[in-house]
Amino acid sequence: MIQFKEKADSKKDVEGLLHPIVKQWFFSRFEEFSNPQLYGVTEVHARNNILVSASTGSGKTLTSFLAILNELVDCAEKGILQDKIYAVYISPLKALNRDVSLNLLEPLEEMEKQSGKKLGIRVAVRTGDTTATEKQKMLKTPPHILITTPESLALLLSSLKFSEHLKHVEWTIIDEIHSIADSKRGVHLSLSLERLQRLSQGMCRIGLSATVAPLEEVAKFLVGTERDCKIIDAQSMKKYELELLSPVEDFVTESYATIEKKTYELLDKLIHEHKTTLIFTNTRAGTERVVHHLKERFPHKYESLDEETKEKSDLIGAHHGSLSKEHRLMVENKLREGKMKAIVCSTSLELGIDIGYIDLVVCLGSPKSVARLLQRLGRSGHRLHDTVKGKILVQDRDDLVECAVMLKFAKEKKMDRIHIPTNCLDVLAQQLFGMALEEVWDVKDMYKAVKSAYCYRDLTKKDFEEVLDYLAGNFISLEERYIYARIWWNKEEGKVGKKGRMSRTIYMTNIGTIPDQQGVIVKDQRGNKIGMIDEAFLEKLTKGDIFVLGGNTYQFNFARGMVVQVIPMPGRKPTVPSWFSDRLPLSYDLANGIGNFRLFMEERFKRKQTKKEILTFIHEYLFVDSTAAEALYNYCKDQHDYIGMPTSKKLLIEHYRDDQMKNYVVFHALYGRRVNDVLSRAVAFAISRSQHKDVEIGINDNGFYISYDRHVDVPKAFSLVKSKELRKVIELAVDKSEILKRRFRHCAGRAFMILRTYGGIKRRVGKQQVSSMILLNAVRRISENFFILRETRREVLEDLMDYDSALEVLQHIEEKRIKLEEIQTFIPSPFALNLVMQGYSDILRLEDRQQFLQRMHQMVKAKIALKNK
Amino acid sequence: MLIHPNIEIRDLGLYLVKEKTLIISDIHIGYEESLNRQGILVPRVYFKEFLLRLSKMLNHVDRVVLNGDIKHEFAGMSSTEWQGSKELFEVITGKEIVVIKGNHDPMLPYVFTKTKIVPFLRLGNILIVHGDVVLKEENPDVIIIGHEHCAIGLKEGMRIERFKCFLKGKYNASTLIAMPSCNLATEGTDIARHERLSPYLQQNLNTFEVFIVSDQVYAFGKVKELQ
Repeated sequence: MIQFKEKADSKKDVEGLLHPIVKQWFFSRFEEFSNPQLYGVTEVHARNNILVSASTGSGKTLTSFLAILNELVDCAEKGILQDKIYAVYISPLKALNRDVSLNLLEPLEEMEKQSGKKLGIRVAVRTGDTTATEKQKMLKTPPHILITTPESLALLLSSLKFSEHLKHVEWTIIDEIHSIADSKRGVHLSLSLERLQRLSQGMCRIGLSATVAPLEEVAKFLVGTERDCKIIDAQSMKKYELELLSPVEDFVTESYATIEKKTYELLDKLIHEHKTTLIFTNTRAGTERVVHHLKERFPHKYESLDEETKEKSDLIGAHHGSLSKEHRLMVENKLREGKMKAIVCSTSLELGIDIGYIDLVVCLGSPKSVARLLQRLGRSGHRLHDTVKGKILVQDRDDLVECAVMLKFAKEKKMDRIHIPTNCLDVLAQQLFGMALEEVWDVKDMYKAVKSAYCYRDLTKKDFEEVLDYLAGNFISLEERYIYARIWWNKEEGKVGKKGRMSRTIYMTNIGTIPDQQGVIVKDQRGNKIGMIDEAFLEKLTKGDIFVLGGNTYQFNFARGMVVQVIPMPGRKPTVPSWFSDRLPLSYDLANGIGNFRLFMEERFKRKQTKKEILTFIHEYLFVDSTAAEALYNYCKDQHDYIGMPTSKKLLIEHYRDDQMKNYVVFHALYGRRVNDVLSRAVAFAISRSQHKDVEIGINDNGFYISYDRHVDVPKAFSLVKSKELRKVIELAVDKSEILKRRFRHCAGRAFMILRTYGGIKRRVGKQQVSSMILLNAVRRISENFFILRETRREVLEDLMDYDSALEVLQHIEEKRIKLEEIQTFIPSPFALNLVMQGYSDILRLEDRQQFLQRMHQMVKAKIALKNK
Repeated sequence: MLIHPNIEIRDLGLYLVKEKTLIISDIHIGYEESLNRQGILVPRVYFKEFLLRLSKMLNHVDRVVLNGDIKHEFAGMSSTEWQGSKELFEVITGKEIVVIKGNHDPMLPYVFTKTKIVPFLRLGNILIVHGDVVLKEENPDVIIIGHEHCAIGLKEGMRIERFKCFLKGKYNASTLIAMPSCNLATEGTDIARHERLSPYLQQNLNTFEVFIVSDQVYAFGKVKELQ
């Protein structure tokens, strides 16, 4: 049963558990127990499964470790400390592991000093960076607390010798569980936990999470389908001081240059009013741009001069995933030492390590989800009772509405829901292989173990067996099977075991769920770094192509090695869509919140309320200042007067024709791009099927458009898309897409059909992609429903896009809970224009290779005929 | 499709009508195995499919010319390659078989001991050669090469689809025909976008004619029309 723990234990209860040495140490460092500690310590002590949800810096980690350290000290004192692993700590970040290990070693040292006794409690970190010598040492003398990552844990579980040490684990802690649970890494971990639990049956699980919803679901993810769990919700500890800022009063009349200038001035002012400011920009490119602009616009303000050495050093730094590890570490260290005025990051500093004293967090542009906003804010005032100070700097009118509603949700603690992937067959293949390496299994037990993981609670026997068949090479004719088989499966006896000499090495060197990404650096003519693009994307570019990177448009010039040169082309419409996008998608729940706000506004306009009345409502409903309220009012009023307001109950379909007589149908569908991706593709598919036309589509968070030359009835096509058939339709619609090809590589890698490392050689991503196409075509020849192909479709639809919510939208339309309304405009509404200019475009052609070839042939023939005339 | 007097494209092969000769090129037996050895566990479906297609190309064929790179591995001969070669020869059994040595084939004479292996083949005014090096032959009317694995990318918007193709152009005074590879795992080299391998094709290909091979042969005009 999953239940919330409603009442904290008393200070006396908690104190009573503690060994004198631990107690002495604790109160030498802290005045009192923190809230999570008052709730959690006794539970950890009693080996109950718990999920602790609390803000960063609230003593969450110590909550989990206090009772464990206590136990270990007690054992050490009594001389009964065994050579075994008592506790396993898992976090998604290596950097966090380093931090946690230091934060355990330090107290242990202090306890030894204070008590004058040698305790001999060992803590060790085991990650991909651990040296062979250290590994040997751990194997010989296991640490009492093992600190590791999900991937290393899976490796240890399949290591015959080391897994001996994992047979008496009493606690497993999963830190930052909210950031793992929503990805395949989490799915992978959920199976590792079942494997670990099988070795250590008495083990309890402790999940540590930041703000996330619903907590019940994360708790189920933590403990699986059949165990109890108590949830400790200790989130509302910090005081928030949140504010929405707009660089200009009116986004419509001000030029882009002015908005930009004012934004940087405001940013500069904020930075200098605070000691250390952390800025989130959402994209890597944005990060570089902000650092560059601040340095250029305010020379000398962002560097310091050492009086003695005369050396200049930067007071501002960039931090994102494409920067080298050394650079990031350098920036983190300078930050911790308080030597930075400001640090600008994409999303990379949302998680993890202690980054020292931050007194202001600035989000430049919408963080796109409430959970993400709170996570970011949690990075400031990294101490229990500090006030969290955060500012959101909005970038345009849509951003303003979005952030205003987000702010409301944040203050009211309305969280967007987490999406936990389920039944991932690629991850299953990897883990079943790992399990077979462990021992010979009874297939029934194996199935049961898998099903007890939350992510596989609904796994069918058929899918399970198909994956086993794959691992046993049964999809290949007998004489070649030996090449593919990783396991043997005796169907009569119902037993499964490992096969092949190389199996263990293959597993050890290819484990994990994060696909290799190889970026190519993009620079302008002057050599300024703009960002990174994917190697596979580069393959598709020809000179002159215009594409979007980090929100700006560039023209592709040439590529040399791993560097691409481009020319900035601001405002130009892309000629090729970026099928990758480093933009964060708006959460569906938040989108609905915005839809509701629009609905309330519409009601008031319809009731002919005065401006004053409506402004009062805005102030009551949202937490914004008068400038923002005014801007919100004007925006909604304009929209309402021009074409009416799209709301949570009304989907506006706007038709217009541009000066080149091209027709646009704009769906004002405010559902976030993950949902719009599904809806737009489904409509395009219906058009192509019923009217045999190819159409261009564009999407963003606020809607999508479809454009065509003539004679296409888009609303009719939309009405043909039925919720009952959506799955089938959308599967067909993505089947030929680029994204499917790319994701197939990832899935095939996870299922070990493409080995990233083999025979000691690591393959480059570009090569992997080429081989993956050969593999994809071969697999299609075997079956269009081969499980990796099926899993790829599922991943694209459910994890990358938001199929379930799109289905919900369609159902609401069918039930008339959402009304459709069509309007013809002569000048596109501002919102529509925005969408057509910004939204990435994709020409959705659903013809297959053969049809494509034939059509191209017709075109060439026509061209030649014309010439010969 | 007849693309030159006496020369027609027949699926992935060239058929010399008068000589009743079928030319196929770059089969690369063992390619799938080599992918497997690199950790790409491609099921071996492509070679089998090719054999099926080959068996349908043999109408009125008295002689089959294998224009180089029959097998993939440079050194040695794996059991898969043995097996594959055996299956290939079974399909074309009863025909006169001429093997032209390719750059992947240094081991060939030791393997196909009973087969005629030549550095090139001259049939009247037609010269057939693998194409990795230029042959100093007295002005043939037509030169037929393999080696390049000719393919061409058709692009529209973001979509690029690559198709196997034949190229027909000039080499000095001779007509030059470059063949696609018979390996179905990959389409080959996009000759408009990538550097060419064969010395015969180190020239501007703009005026070369493109014939795409798919379910049938499609004449696509000149390379420059496709840019």
